[in-house]
Amino acid sequence: MEIASAAILPQLIVNGLIAGAMYSLTAAGFSLVYATNRFLNLAHGGIMMVGAYLVYTFFNLAGLNFYAASFLAVICTSLFGGFLFVSVYRPLRQKKAANMVMLIAAAGLAILLEALVTLIFGTDVKQLNFISVQEGWHIAGAIITPLQLVVMAVSAVLLVSFAVFMKYSSWGKLIRAVADNADLARTTGINPYAVQLWSFVIACAIASVAGILIGLERNIEPRMGLGFALVSFASTVVGGMGSLPGAILGSYLIGLAENVGQWILPSGYKEAIWLVMLFLFLLIRPSGIFGTEQGVRQTKL
Amino acid sequence: MSAYFSQILILICIYAIVAGSLNLAFGYTGLVNLGHIAFFGLGAYTSAILTVEYQVPFMAAFFAAGAVAGVFGWVITAITSRLKGDYFALAALAFNFLAVAVFLNWISFTHGPLGIAGVPRPQIFGLKILSPEGYAAFAFLVMAAVFLFMRRLTASRYGRVLEAVRDDALGAEALGKNVFRLKCQCLVASTFCAGLAGSLFAHFIQFIDPYSFYLPDLIVALTILIVGGLASLKGSLAGALIIIIIPELLRFLPIPDHVVGPLRQAVYSAILIGILLVRPRGIFGKVDLE
Repeated sequence: MEIASAAILPQLIVNGLIAGAMYSLTAAGFSLVYATNRFLNLAHGGIMMVGAYLVYTFFNLAGLNFYAASFLAVICTSLFGGFLFVSVYRPLRQKKAANMVMLIAAAGLAILLEALVTLIFGTDVKQLNFISVQEGWHIAGAIITPLQLVVMAVSAVLLVSFAVFMKYSSWGKLIRAVADNADLARTTGINPYAVQLWSFVIACAIASVAGILIGLERNIEPRMGLGFALVSFASTVVGGMGSLPGAILGSYLIGLAENVGQWILPSGYKEAIWLVMLFLFLLIRPSGIFGTEQGVRQTKL
Repeated sequence: MSAYFSQILILICIYAIVAGSLNLAFGYTGLVNLGHIAFFGLGAYTSAILTVEYQVPFMAAFFAAGAVAGVFGWVITAITSRLKGDYFALAALAFNFLAVAVFLNWISFTHGPLGIAGVPRPQIFGLKILSPEGYAAFAFLVMAAVFLFMRRLTASRYGRVLEAVRDDALGAEALGKNVFRLKCQCLVASTFCAGLAGSLFAHFIQFIDPYSFYLPDLIVALTILIVGGLASLKGSLAGALIIIIIPELLRFLPIPDHVVGPLRQAVYSAILIGILLVRPRGIFGKVDLE
């Protein structure tokens, strides 16, 4: 196998950062749901995919203004996420379903969403075509388009505001209290169910923004959801389950690894690279970079 | 018409083995192996490559399929020995994605996305099975043998120890049972059977490609398993019967072909979610999901 020249390395790093910017948005929500609800929401990528298709519907099919379409899509995806939570996850939890049941239900939901979207929109790839591909700027040997800069900026701004929200707002404190210990939170008068629902809805809102950005930068297809859900799982394992900075760091590490890995491996192995990374972390440090032992030790919360 | 029924019977046998062997790991021992379909795929690829590329006799390829899947089953248990519950489940699922990525990209060996065509019908001791009825009889024999084996295993003292590992791994360990070794043995037996089912599948469809071994098939296996009930082999048999026949009824409705695939997936996943909500123990289930 021929090894590519060193000249493409800066481009691979830039591609990795762009991938990381997109992954971090889904991973942040995945991690938030795990922190408050203690289950791995495999359908999270599917919700992101629904968000992307909603923008496509409002913008390309209904002909709305792009920003109005995006706003509507975020609202609808959040409502839809809330609906899924109330109709599937909440009843399961009320029946004292174990985490494994939640995970299997989430896997079922992921496939259900993919199948329904395929039935409505077909398997072919969709494009938003809001910002046409422009001439890129050359920065340190890499080419980056204005659109990609916008994607990275939106992702960064959204995640920083989310982190500030979690740290300083009273809602953020409620969420952190429930994430830390739901039973203890209940004794101080917090309603953990409401907090769990709201954090699920917030995660869906962030996921829909991710869907919009991914729709702008890549193509939209029904299959994209599951891949993103597993990347989110891998990112949160690498960074530390339930930790927001961990999820973001993990996403960027995975984005970089899969892109820089193409320097030596064919691009088809992109997925294999982060999967191997996931296995290495599970093997050597299952709690991740910033994580506690929580996720490994407590399987029956 | 007889050929059509034979085909359905073959599919029921194959999926009964897949779900039954998943039950051995999941229902009896508590190992939620969400990567089960990867072992099914490993078996299918092993058998197809051996018979197509190397002209290995069918019976040798058939058992090699089980053996390769079993070896990988052991490797996966060894790698994930520190993980429990949902972490193990998702790590196993990630293994499934890894297997598909390798099937797709190791083109010189697996032909990548094109898949392997022309997988021959089995020839057993000079007797070539050509008719669908003959294949159905063969698949039924294999299924009966696998279920007899699993029945003997789970009804034995050893089977009770496996159930003890599921219910209280720490307690079993305290009583001097080597939990890690038991988990390994169980997963090897389970994945060996999945590999055999993969070989049956490859020689039945006569064409395999990486996407035949993806999450949609896992949903089919999980739906069969949970509808039938955990820790019940007769449940897995009944589940396979019900779950394979239901989408066949869709054929009698006037719906276009390209809709059938996603519709079938939607039906399976809706049944899965529904049964979890309404009756998580399934028809014959003895234990609750944990």
